[in-house]
Amino acid sequence: MSLQPGGIQGAMTKTAVERGTGKVAATDPERWVDEHGDLLYRYALLRVRKPEIAQDLVQETLLAAMRSYEKFAGQSLVRSWLCGILKHKLGDYFRKLGRETSFTDLEFLADECSEKFVPEGYWVHMNGPKEWKPEVDEVMHRDEFWKVMRECLGRLPDRVATVFMMREMDEIESKEICATLSISENNLWVMLHRARMALRKCLATNWFENPEVQH
Amino acid sequence: MQPTGSKTRRCNINKLKPLPDWTPNPRPPDDDSLFQEHRSWLQLQIVLLICRFTPTCPEVIRILSLGMDKDLPLITRIKLRIHYLMCSFCERYAKQLKYMRTVAREFPKKIGEISDAKLPTEAKERLKEALLK
Repeated sequence: MSLQPGGIQGAMTKTAVERGTGKVAATDPERWVDEHGDLLYRYALLRVRKPEIAQDLVQETLLAAMRSYEKFAGQSLVRSWLCGILKHKLGDYFRKLGRETSFTDLEFLADECSEKFVPEGYWVHMNGPKEWKPEVDEVMHRDEFWKVMRECLGRLPDRVATVFMMREMDEIESKEICATLSISENNLWVMLHRARMALRKCLATNWFENPEVQH
Repeated sequence: MQPTGSKTRRCNINKLKPLPDWTPNPRPPDDDSLFQEHRSWLQLQIVLLICRFTPTCPEVIRILSLGMDKDLPLITRIKLRIHYLMCSFCERYAKQLKYMRTVAREFPKKIGEISDAKLPTEAKERLKEALLK
């Protein structure tokens, strides 16, 4: 009998069964590859954008998971546990990258302001932000929206996207991001500001103000 | 009215003298709050006064972004509020920053469904081999 049927439900039954029987660890890592490999890979790819590096990170994650399997003890779902490890590995990766290369990108969007504002410093009325409909909790259920979101994140330059995702997805405080990537707080804020401007504009044009989208 | 001395203002009111077809940030048509697109003389004076004491829009959106990462001083927050009175664009921008934060936090949960990237089969085999060692 398989102790670990697929999917999240499966993972839940597994932990329940496991607490009773003690050990099933021997073949688990192999199952992880089939069951969670793609998900981990997708997440890693979102964050590092290079397939080879994403694959390496997945491998490191699973190896680390295997080593610390005893400590896991089924307090959470296997999937979220693995994702947690992957996040740590991503942190390590960026820390190393930050030490080796300059992570500051101030080129991006440097002259963006000129079109949107009149010289005195006010919005050009036609180009000012329009209301975003539908509201947040409704948009969550729209797959098309998430695809647009992925598109727009994909258009941000690597380093800008990385700081944006660390700040807004991982909810890391700015001081910690600066320490991880070895950049100054001011540079981080400039990059975040530009990332937000660009993402806002992209979402507005491709989703909220896009006449082809059925809201 | 003369600009006072050498003190640089964020916004030169003389430059902003109402042109017949332009006043700073009229309310967009879909917004029905206090200061409408067609402002009376008095409303316009108030708007110009606000211009004088609050940062300009590019500065406001920079501050707003900063406010997403650290606490702003009270005085800055008050200035932003006052700025919103005459500028619904910046107010919207602030709302949209929060909107983006909410969806960005939700995004990782969705990545499994919206991305169709798959580990290549040979990579999977390699992984399994590495794990068995």
